[in-house]
Amino acid sequence: MKCSCSIWSLGFAVVAVAVIGTASADEWGVVKGKFVFGGAVPSAAELKTDKDQEVCGKHKLLAEELVVGADKGVANVVVFVRDKGVKVNPEVAKAAAAEKVVLDNKGCRFEPHVAFVQVGQELVIKNSDTVGHNSNVATVKNAPSNNIIPASGEVSAKFTSEEAIPAQVTCNIHPWMKAWLVVRPNPYASVSKTDGTFEIKDVPVGEVELQFWHEKAGYIGEMTIGGKAEKAAKGRKKVSVAAAGTDLGEIVLEPAIFQK
Amino acid sequence: MTNTPSFVHRSCYATLAFAIVVGAAAGCGKTQPASFRLNMVQATKTSAPEADLERPWEKWSQDRQSQVATILLAMFGTPDEPLALAESGLDEAKLRLAAGPVRSDIVGRKNGLYREHCVHCHGISGDGMGPTAAFLNPYPRDYRPGKFKFKSTWRDAKPTSADLVRVLHEGIAGTSMPSFALLAPTQVDALAEYVRYLSIRGEAELALFTYAEQELGGDEQLPTTREFLVDEILTPIVGKWAAAEESQIPIAAVPAGVDFGLPASDFANRESVARGRVLFLGDGGCVKCHGVTALGDGQANDYDDWNKTIVEVSKEVAGSLDASRQAPTGELSPEKLAEHRARAEWLHAFVEVLEGDALRPRTIPPRNLRQGVYRGGRRPLDLYRRLYTGINGAPMPGVGPSGPGGKGSVADAEIWHIVNYIRSLPYEFDGELGADRPMIAKDRF
Repeated sequence: MKCSCSIWSLGFAVVAVAVIGTASADEWGVVKGKFVFGGAVPSAAELKTDKDQEVCGKHKLLAEELVVGADKGVANVVVFVRDKGVKVNPEVAKAAAAEKVVLDNKGCRFEPHVAFVQVGQELVIKNSDTVGHNSNVATVKNAPSNNIIPASGEVSAKFTSEEAIPAQVTCNIHPWMKAWLVVRPNPYASVSKTDGTFEIKDVPVGEVELQFWHEKAGYIGEMTIGGKAEKAAKGRKKVSVAAAGTDLGEIVLEPAIFQK
Repeated sequence: MTNTPSFVHRSCYATLAFAIVVGAAAGCGKTQPASFRLNMVQATKTSAPEADLERPWEKWSQDRQSQVATILLAMFGTPDEPLALAESGLDEAKLRLAAGPVRSDIVGRKNGLYREHCVHCHGISGDGMGPTAAFLNPYPRDYRPGKFKFKSTWRDAKPTSADLVRVLHEGIAGTSMPSFALLAPTQVDALAEYVRYLSIRGEAELALFTYAEQELGGDEQLPTTREFLVDEILTPIVGKWAAAEESQIPIAAVPAGVDFGLPASDFANRESVARGRVLFLGDGGCVKCHGVTALGDGQANDYDDWNKTIVEVSKEVAGSLDASRQAPTGELSPEKLAEHRARAEWLHAFVEVLEGDALRPRTIPPRNLRQGVYRGGRRPLDLYRRLYTGINGAPMPGVGPSGPGGKGSVADAEIWHIVNYIRSLPYEFDGELGADRPMIAKDRF
């Protein structure tokens, strides 16, 4: 027990330092960047849509495990602030709490492919298709669920705990359908768009630890930022956030990391 | 340095740890004391080589495995000497009745019930990989992920004691799981408690490896403080078991026009069965997998969660192995080459683990509802529960809400009509199947 006491007091010390450290800083900055594919743009394979063909067969669906835009932007890279207990801009938190996140079953695929929902925020999984779907949400820390969602139906869910890595959402009826759910305790996460850009707004000024994750690459452990090759164990990278904003610029991801 | 990791000795770590602590006292008897096997699939999956690794991967991963084995030994004891920490909520007296070799105690009471009745299928570690497991279809349950199918609680909740006892008492129709109705209630109780123990232990093991993967850097060790092991690892798991009794799903009143005392074909049930059929084909979504004719022919290439884990890692490893073989190694820097080697070592170890420590994955076909065999029980209440929450761990989704206060795709009371329709299926006239029926049940099996 003795050693645990010292850990507790250490914990208090850290908390005390954090309080003192943040008391003066109520400044926020944006963290942004752009993921660029370091090779030729790969072509996405066409998916085999062999269930409910009358409806799903109409859509020419492509695999979305690695989406690279025409200008080599890498989409669906998840970036989030990893620090536990990071200070959250109260206005951002308030705005986010009021907003619902929608994951739609549309055209026999999930829209968006990677959704970001905060702990406590409402997630609505709806079905805009004319066929029934089910959404099998494989969360680890939160209760996993698997509901039937009939045509034009919807279910809603709230999460009580963060997920260390994004949770997979699948449809057992249409096995090609897959999406990912990023569940974080604060608003500081972003999913890169088709042009490869991401942006996390209102991050407290100072040093934060970002984590990079992609469904095919897992934790992104290697990247080239500003022409300099960098290693990031478990996709973690410390950045210092300036009030004027921090732009990481082009972050080049080599094709090899997606071929693990 | 050899490229072949010595995973043949994998079961020795737990034994070794055991020997260090207990071996001295127990002496070196004729037979080796029983030991739990590590969850090697999880151990290997979570130990992909890190870029910043200072020691050789093989040594590093073995250290992590023995660390987890030592922690588990301290928290749960051994198959002969199970340990129930106060925080585990487990009853050590019951565990002792179920654990250890088959023997009689001082008052002539039978001990070692798990090894007498369960171990040959479910395995000493509750991993569902006992010696007979590979010959059974479906495979025996692996308790370690903490998922149970046939229960009265919300999908993600743990089963109640009564749920576990019921499965032991009734067996599972259509599988190799027999009924243990001939055992004394105290014995069944002891076995249910032991299943809980193996499951909590297995989930704790998963949590330890997952924590190591997600939170620890290359050479860091798992914390061994009580705060971490009890508060962070054990308590969340135990909390779910403790909440089982109050996590039972609500049972709607049976609506008018449903009489389970009469056959589904009786005139009294006619409208209800017709309504159930509409829901089966429509909002219930049942038709998607069980098919229009309910022969279970709508979808046949899906896996349950236990098999899916193996399928997914196998696919990943196979893909990685290809990529690793094709990668040019000639021009790599020494540092890159070391990384490449570590990764290749890991992949080869993984292949060995998948071959030696996992059963060949099998798909889970949707049930043929015309056979009248229901694994979770044949009472209308059992069918209601299966429909309401779906089947935990299986692809089967629920038509009820996913938690208290939620909204399902079919109203609670209406679920009884689907139950009634399912009840009618084994007895439905052949002619009613329609001209387009693909085949009849007996041709299918």
